[in-house]
Amino acid sequence: MSRLEAEALCFSRPGIKNLLTDVSLSLEAGRIIAVLGANGAGKTSLLSLLAGKLKPGRGRVLLEGTELSSLSPREIALKIAFLPQIERLPFNYPVLDFVLLGRAPHISPLSLPGQGDYRAARKALEEAGVASLEARGAATLSGGEFQLVRIARCLAQESGILLLDEPSSLLDPAHAAAVAQKLSDLAKSGMAILFTTHDIGLAYSVADTAILLHQGRLINPGSAKRLFDMDTLKKAFGAEFTELSLPSAYSPRA
Amino acid sequence: MKSKRLKANLRFSLLTGGALAAVLVFYLLAGRYPRPGLLNPFTLGQDPIAVRVLLSLRLPRALGAILLGAVLGGSGAVFQSIFGNPLVDSGFLGVSQGAAFGAALSLLAGATGFYAVAGLSFVFALAALWISLWLSKTFTFGGQVLRLLLAGLAVSAFFSALLGAVKYAADPLSQLPDIVFWTMGSLSPMGWQRLSFILPPSLVSLILLLLLRWRATLLSLDDSVSHALGLRPETERAFLASAAALGVATVTAVCGVVSWVGLVVPQVVRLRSGADGRSVIPLSMAGGALFVLISDGIARVLFPGELPLGIVTSILGALAFALLLSRRKMELLR
Repeated sequence: MSRLEAEALCFSRPGIKNLLTDVSLSLEAGRIIAVLGANGAGKTSLLSLLAGKLKPGRGRVLLEGTELSSLSPREIALKIAFLPQIERLPFNYPVLDFVLLGRAPHISPLSLPGQGDYRAARKALEEAGVASLEARGAATLSGGEFQLVRIARCLAQESGILLLDEPSSLLDPAHAAAVAQKLSDLAKSGMAILFTTHDIGLAYSVADTAILLHQGRLINPGSAKRLFDMDTLKKAFGAEFTELSLPSAYSPRA
Repeated sequence: MKSKRLKANLRFSLLTGGALAAVLVFYLLAGRYPRPGLLNPFTLGQDPIAVRVLLSLRLPRALGAILLGAVLGGSGAVFQSIFGNPLVDSGFLGVSQGAAFGAALSLLAGATGFYAVAGLSFVFALAALWISLWLSKTFTFGGQVLRLLLAGLAVSAFFSALLGAVKYAADPLSQLPDIVFWTMGSLSPMGWQRLSFILPPSLVSLILLLLLRWRATLLSLDDSVSHALGLRPETERAFLASAAALGVATVTAVCGVVSWVGLVVPQVVRLRSGADGRSVIPLSMAGGALFVLISDGIARVLFPGELPLGIVTSILGALAFALLLSRRKMELLR
């Protein structure tokens, strides 16, 4: 059974019709799907629907066979970790406390995090490769470090499915490659991952499947390697592509 | 790291608790009976009037100061957390101005008894809260934080204008002084009866805020993040804001408007304890209690005639705030 499945999703906002039309996809454990498309193609809407943040106009999202709309935010958060593209930090929380917030779905509203939650948060920091930042203030981190710490908070959720909205958009190539490597490692450990991106290199290097969204419709679903079809890219992004070269840090998944 | 921080917070808690106990003893002994200065605790047994002064006047007033400070400090910390904004204070969402208007209206109508003034004040404080929450839902733009901030601003301004109208209509000789004195805040009429009036709702508010203190930290994150962590941010924020406002409405109805406690105390506490609600909320309660107890001690003892408490907390609070700003100690990330 797929971990997460979208069936013929349609979505409109007031004033904007057909943000998404008949979008279907299936995300399995240990697999990575990259969703690409121009600005306004519907990537973030798709991700918000898959995370249960928005409700589709038509179609449905199934989480391990159960319709997402019948689950509470907490039930969803136990199975899906969702990382929005940007996040404002209201206060300078220490990194460990910040990652500990990822334990929220496991803790009842009137309770506090316990020893087990601290252990899970530290393990997540280690998995994300940022254990050394534990005592730092989250507001003092670089953009790349903060992104990895946010990924650690998702890992602390121990959810099995990870959805990320443009995880490399604010990062330099080295940090983007670090995030790519991390996603690749997580998929190998059995996590189901879906991310949106404009970064064709990131999609090429880590994704098993690449989905191109164009005006809310899905085009060219298939192997990430087929992304390098220049005509498809031109259709999706509305720009000419001549030659693509990737930083050597991006290495295609075996 | 957890244990290190726990130790630091424990040390800070013990320090605050110790200071609170010491100030309480000093507060109880200081005053103008039998002469300006301190009562001798060893001669209390021979002076029944001193015992009565201590037990009937100073003790309930001291406990009132502690309760008032705990409510204002704790609710200020909660408001700052759930709105992700360190410049929000406990009178937020129109609660203080609503309470002031209710009390002034009661005094204007000639209902000057304690239950009439406190009752009407309480009703209007909750009405202001309700209008703010309702108004914020009618706005069709922005996130909940922005909508609540704007609604609170509008409702505060509205009740402030109504308060101005009541002052304008009040008899300048018989009614206006009472209204002005009430809006400056005071603990002077606090006795066991008034304490028992504010105790139950204040305790309910304090207990709810303590129980939900980690939730307040989660609500400080962007709504998209807190939702992804399994919360219902709009519902939970409205609940916590109402729980905090319940306490503020109660103490303001009895003690008048006491400003700056809810704004400054969490700022100072946050410097020592970090921003996590698990430490900043209980320590802001303790810090608020300490701040109001010291302020009321000054208000009571400094001059032969009492100073309104709100004036003392405003002077001390504004000074502390300016100091924090000038030393760039304040956390203002957005």
